[in-house]
Amino acid sequence: MTTTDNAVENPPAHEPAPRERSFPDPYQMETPEGAEGWEDMYAYHNRFLPTRQAEDSAKTWFRNSLHYPEVSYPFDQVTIDGAFTGTGVTNTRVFALPPAKGLDVRVINGYTYMSTIASPDAEEQARRAEEFGKRAGYYFQNWDSLYAEWEGRVTTAIRAVRDIEVPPLSEFEPIERITVDRGPSQANQLLAAYHRLLEHGDQIWTLHSEFLNLGYAAYLQFLTLCKEHFPEIDDQTISRMVSGVDVLLFRPDDELRALARKAEELGVGELVLAATTEPELLANLADSDAGQTWLTALDESKDPWFYFSYGSGMYHSHRSWIDDLRLPIQAIGDYIHRLRSGDDLTRPIDKLQSERDELVSHYRSLLDAEDLTGFDETLALSRTVFPYVENHNFYIEHWFLTNFWNKVREFSSLFQAWGFWNDVEDIFFLRRAEVEEAIVDLQMAWSAGGNPQGGHHWPPIIKRRKEIYEALSNWNPPPALGPVPGEVNEPLTIMLWGITPETVERWLTAQDGGGSRTQLTGFAGSPGIAEGRARVVLRPDQLDTVQEGEILVSPVTSPSWTPVFGRIRASVSDIGGIMCHAAIVSREYGLPAVVGTGFGTSTIKTGQLIRVDGNAGTVTILDESTGA
Amino acid sequence: MGKYTRRFNELNSNDRPLVGGKCASLGEMVQAGLPVPDGFAVTVDAYEDYRDASDLRKELLRIVLGADAHSHASLQQAHDESVAMILGRELPPVIEQEIRSAYLTLSNETAQRRGTDDSERIPVAVRSSATDEDGDAASFAGQQETYLWVVGADDVIAKVRECWASLYTPQAIAYRSELSVADASEASKISVAVQLMATADVAGVTFTVSPRTGDRSVIAINASWGLGQSVVSGEVTPDEYWLNKLGPTLTTTRIASKAHEYVPAPGGTGVVFRDVDVARRDVACLTESEVLQLADIALRVEKHYGCPQDIEWALEHHADGTAKVMLLQSRPETNWKKRKEEKSKNTTKGTSNLLGFVAAATKGEN
Repeated sequence: MTTTDNAVENPPAHEPAPRERSFPDPYQMETPEGAEGWEDMYAYHNRFLPTRQAEDSAKTWFRNSLHYPEVSYPFDQVTIDGAFTGTGVTNTRVFALPPAKGLDVRVINGYTYMSTIASPDAEEQARRAEEFGKRAGYYFQNWDSLYAEWEGRVTTAIRAVRDIEVPPLSEFEPIERITVDRGPSQANQLLAAYHRLLEHGDQIWTLHSEFLNLGYAAYLQFLTLCKEHFPEIDDQTISRMVSGVDVLLFRPDDELRALARKAEELGVGELVLAATTEPELLANLADSDAGQTWLTALDESKDPWFYFSYGSGMYHSHRSWIDDLRLPIQAIGDYIHRLRSGDDLTRPIDKLQSERDELVSHYRSLLDAEDLTGFDETLALSRTVFPYVENHNFYIEHWFLTNFWNKVREFSSLFQAWGFWNDVEDIFFLRRAEVEEAIVDLQMAWSAGGNPQGGHHWPPIIKRRKEIYEALSNWNPPPALGPVPGEVNEPLTIMLWGITPETVERWLTAQDGGGSRTQLTGFAGSPGIAEGRARVVLRPDQLDTVQEGEILVSPVTSPSWTPVFGRIRASVSDIGGIMCHAAIVSREYGLPAVVGTGFGTSTIKTGQLIRVDGNAGTVTILDESTGA
Repeated sequence: MGKYTRRFNELNSNDRPLVGGKCASLGEMVQAGLPVPDGFAVTVDAYEDYRDASDLRKELLRIVLGADAHSHASLQQAHDESVAMILGRELPPVIEQEIRSAYLTLSNETAQRRGTDDSERIPVAVRSSATDEDGDAASFAGQQETYLWVVGADDVIAKVRECWASLYTPQAIAYRSELSVADASEASKISVAVQLMATADVAGVTFTVSPRTGDRSVIAINASWGLGQSVVSGEVTPDEYWLNKLGPTLTTTRIASKAHEYVPAPGGTGVVFRDVDVARRDVACLTESEVLQLADIALRVEKHYGCPQDIEWALEHHADGTAKVMLLQSRPETNWKKRKEEKSKNTTKGTSNLLGFVAAATKGEN
């Protein structure tokens, strides 16, 4: 092990005072063996800088493992920087949220940590409150029309990214350049196209945050009101009163069910069942009219509903249904079997709706008359804002980002053709600024009719970075860095990240070697109790290992994993609060879920018999045996 | 029935001035069709007329007003004198006869219904029933006496007189000696409840609001072996069953080690406090279906009164294993309101700030 460049060379000579409990100091972190030089993979603004130690060591840094559970690829830092810019500017500059500003972001050993920027003082808060009232008020009062307009802006952005043309760098400029427009050269267009891609990848995050924190704030208002009236009510009951029963994230799975039904109606069920890949599907179905009809239906479903990432969408490596149809094809097959066994595959929307109404009227009946108006008003506002909170994810993380990453691959293919590297995926081991350097290299070489330098420069760097990436992936990042926070009471932090005083205490206990090895505690994400064999899935590409009746144990689950939810008995995740995707999806599918266990994937082994108690928020390892 | 006794099914909450809070509430529950052991009230008039039949009222007043509230010896002497006087004076035959006859009627009817022979010796509980509005003064005034497993008319009458005499504990005398004559006289009104003894093997208390947080969506049940006295008095750590009213559904069960229980004395009169045999100690004293049955009844009681209740109950097990719930009393639970106010004050600063701003923004203020 070696210390990082950022670490202090000479720790203070005096004997340290009896140590208070704290998380590791970011400046004392050791570099995992084999990952030396990892700092080059990230821009300076993402690193802990030696001259800023006094300031940065004094703060608590929480690992953002909800959105960024994996090591960041150098290029993928674009989405991390963009997302924090988007949420920061929305809170701080657009709506002037009075008590909360944005977050500082750092990367250590490839993992993303964040720290809240201190709240402004009372006087500044009052000044901000005046602005916030005008700005947020406008949104709350015009929510539906603004949301409709937002959908238009997002789909325009998605189309714009899809339509960016990567110039082919043909031997000669087209003749039209002489006879018609006399515009910029393909060399000029190459850089402009890359800038346009970055521009959209940056702006999308402002769109992402535009309604999100206002939505959460409104929901939080209802949550807090419920807890004042019913101190023992659990979060999932509250969210059930608010949640829509039919949200966009379930639409892709609904499309698969519809395709299964259609296959049976057209009498091509067997042909669909016989295929596991898209080429097999085409080969099996293209010959008949019925098959063609079904393939047309498949194409209609694909756009946009298969732009659905296997992961959070935040990493280029997650890929989407549209890139690899194996999971949807397998799921359609499962649904065909279920249809044949008499299941009509409809989700019980009416039942969910009436359960939701019953729940609300039950809690209303327990309130004093004087409290009813406040309850009704905050509930109504929560329900107004909630479709956005639930639906933005499909538009941005799935539909937009799938197009974004694939457009980056188009650029990479060009570089590949010019000998920069062998694998299209290699581009993601370059930082965004480095890609721009490569573009300039290519511009100059193509323009002059020579050969670019890239093929000499990048391959060893990429090779080394891949080794570093592997070494960092095997490292176990602590959940937090720096001093133990005085109090965790920022409501959005609690709701989104599941970080409460209790979580912090659990982390400390586990760090100090305490805590139970057979029992994990998290948030009760979805009610019910289930027992079964664990299946630990660390990355989306391991999803096809999940067997019928197993319990899914993962760092974090993505909504696009929903077809797998038909096969599992329960789910356990390391990360997430009550509103995380795993909880929402599990509730919808009636599966017990415990989220935010912190150590599920590092404690539970595939094959172990475990019990998931989605009422109490606990996971118990029932035997120590491990499977194959 | 007459001036001095009223059957529970003739009473409702409006009769509190005549029969005290406990009897009025029992009557109200009987009329609402809730499972309450039958019984009757010895009315306030019985004790009032007893005091007026001789110079008893004047004498007791003299003793109370003459006591030095700050002298333990003086209060003790006043207590001894008053109790001797209340228990010693002759009870006017018309009052005694009416209580005797009310008991014998209850006893006969019950023996007939149960098919037992001992028609004049059915066990009852005799308890004071306070008349003051909020019940707070009752504890000072000593109107809290309970006698279990009382058998036979003579003993019932004796225990009724002991309930009356319980008005004259040293503390109660100290309390009333500081009141005006009119208030002291009002505070010394008392009724007595005579109620069939539940032959309970499990008993306890149900709150239709969380005693922990004041949450009105919660039901909490405390239960232990034997008669309910052990739970009410805190002499055992009871089992705890927590439910959500929606359903209702059982959310948490905490089984305690229940070392002691009250059971009827072997002689047929009174109760004994004994060790619970080891085999039963750490076993849940309620099944899930019994918990749900108790919760259902508690919800009916709460609905009837329209506010959270604190309910004492007992469970009688039949030979076939089924259980019959009996309600012994129900009182409004008032702490939840106070807790609710405290709770809203405690909402974290960060939250209330943000929510204040959101609330203002949604209403278009600023």
